[in-house]
Amino acid sequence: MTAAEKILARASGLDRVRAGEIVYPTPDFVVIHDGLVMGTKQDLDALGIDRLFDPDRVMMVTDHDVVYLNERAVARGAFNRKAAEAWGVKGFYDAGRGGHGHLFPTERGLLLPGMFYFDNDRHCTNAGGIGALAIRAGAEIGRVLATGTTWTVVPKSIKLTIEGRVQPGVYARDIGFHLGAILRRSDVDLDYRVLELAGEIDPFSVAQRVALCSTPTEMRAIGVFFPPSQHVLDYARERAQRPFTPVYPDADAQYDSELTLDVARLEPQVALPGAPHKATNLSEVAGVKVDHAFIGSCGSGMYEDLEIAAGILKERRVAPGVRLLVVPGTEDSTKRLHREGLLDVFQQAGAFVLPAGCGPCASGRMGLLHSGEVSICTATANAPGRFGAKDADIYLGSPATVAASAITGKITDPRSFL
Amino acid sequence: MPDTFQWRLRGRCYKLGDDVPHAGGVVPNWIIGGRYFDPKDIIPHLFEETDLGFHERCRPGDIIVTGRNFGMGPKMNGYIAMQALGLGLVCESMPFLAYRAAVGCGVRVMTDCVNVTQICENGDDLEVDFRDGYVINHTRNIQREYPPIPDTLHELIALGGNAGWLEQWWKNRQSTASA
Repeated sequence: MTAAEKILARASGLDRVRAGEIVYPTPDFVVIHDGLVMGTKQDLDALGIDRLFDPDRVMMVTDHDVVYLNERAVARGAFNRKAAEAWGVKGFYDAGRGGHGHLFPTERGLLLPGMFYFDNDRHCTNAGGIGALAIRAGAEIGRVLATGTTWTVVPKSIKLTIEGRVQPGVYARDIGFHLGAILRRSDVDLDYRVLELAGEIDPFSVAQRVALCSTPTEMRAIGVFFPPSQHVLDYARERAQRPFTPVYPDADAQYDSELTLDVARLEPQVALPGAPHKATNLSEVAGVKVDHAFIGSCGSGMYEDLEIAAGILKERRVAPGVRLLVVPGTEDSTKRLHREGLLDVFQQAGAFVLPAGCGPCASGRMGLLHSGEVSICTATANAPGRFGAKDADIYLGSPATVAASAITGKITDPRSFL
Repeated sequence: MPDTFQWRLRGRCYKLGDDVPHAGGVVPNWIIGGRYFDPKDIIPHLFEETDLGFHERCRPGDIIVTGRNFGMGPKMNGYIAMQALGLGLVCESMPFLAYRAAVGCGVRVMTDCVNVTQICENGDDLEVDFRDGYVINHTRNIQREYPPIPDTLHELIALGGNAGWLEQWWKNRQSTASA
């Protein structure tokens, strides 16, 4: 079996499952974010359903609307607090209490290798960074919250073998953008597939693994899975809130297709405005003037991502006319940035640090773009209007590329700052 | 599950091509952005941008037949209207989350129906059995077998989708608890 099949078989109480089967897995937990609570609770209330399948296995996270910028958001926040109380959910991570729901469960040892969970949001693919699997339930999250499961087609998996090691200044997000471009040109379809990594992946830290989950998600992958290395197992054991059993694919696992990617000569990548898979070598767009830069999101919001950016910004200044927003993924990362003196680095550079969460990437609730402006950022997606004016251009890069570009005021290869 | 549920539909063919997106193809973008989920609000705009007046011409039992990659995006609005109008949906392929959204709205839907657009034209007299998995084109005297709706999803579709299924689940649970 593939790793995805093994995890779903275990969660479904079956010895084995095959891609294409429909199963009803019991999740280790369920995550719903702040934007979905109100509609979901109102739908359940309308049916008279006033209790959840197991409140102790539910996490309500607050990452999309952390700083209420309008009356609607204020009302939603108040509703969510009452909902948590009414449902008896102790795992309610209100604004300021956790951060990004696709990052803090990993950092806090709530999400561990081999686990399975349901989430309303598609970026739960980040679970693969630690060697777990999460399935997006979307609007059916109400059924999951009420009954504990929903019908789940076991996804096919695609095996991606990484060869070589990246050069200094090239990071997992660069690999992700490049992979997106390759997949787009190929006949490999990621729709509802799990991308299972193999090959020379031991050097990938947890943050790098999480970062590589982003672009395939935007190309409709339902999951990305890294078999956990010794380093990842150590990371998980240090913080585990419960026992766990890591899962690895069988040697004779059946994959929908197999790909190999040599990353040794990869240059820093930039995704052109429109989609993360519209990747090109950074050198092709070097010099494009930018007005806005943003480091964060579930694709690049872990401590290590911010540390890389801070390393470039240290004792340097953001260019006049550029605003640089730094959004730590989690409250724990913000505290650690403070302890390590990196908050000061960002502030001395002229950047400003926003509360933990999705930042501008959550459908434009803060840090927006004006008509005609240009952003270089680490958002997960860059369709027109992702955050702000539809005629603004959003380029995507690694945290290092964004930091370097913020310093010069134009898209810049970070290797010149290392 | 209601015994009377109609798994076999007979009606006219409405044929669409490949890559019809949900937003701007099945329903106008503003229906999605405006979060319209009441069928009476959506029905007048179903296929409005590709086939103006569709909602006035279609009748219960009619079959929408599409090419590949139908309904891009995990949106439910158009399927809510299709279900309310009693239409069936037969596609050469759908992105998985589009299929999931259609099932969740209780639409009788079959996907992975290879080359189905080659055996029918607009207005043909079609008979489709979604439980047994076949399409008969009575106009052209052609029959094809396709993957039916999986057994485990029958109850969900017969109860009208997620909301109906959940309502029934809750009623059953309450009656079990009080028994």
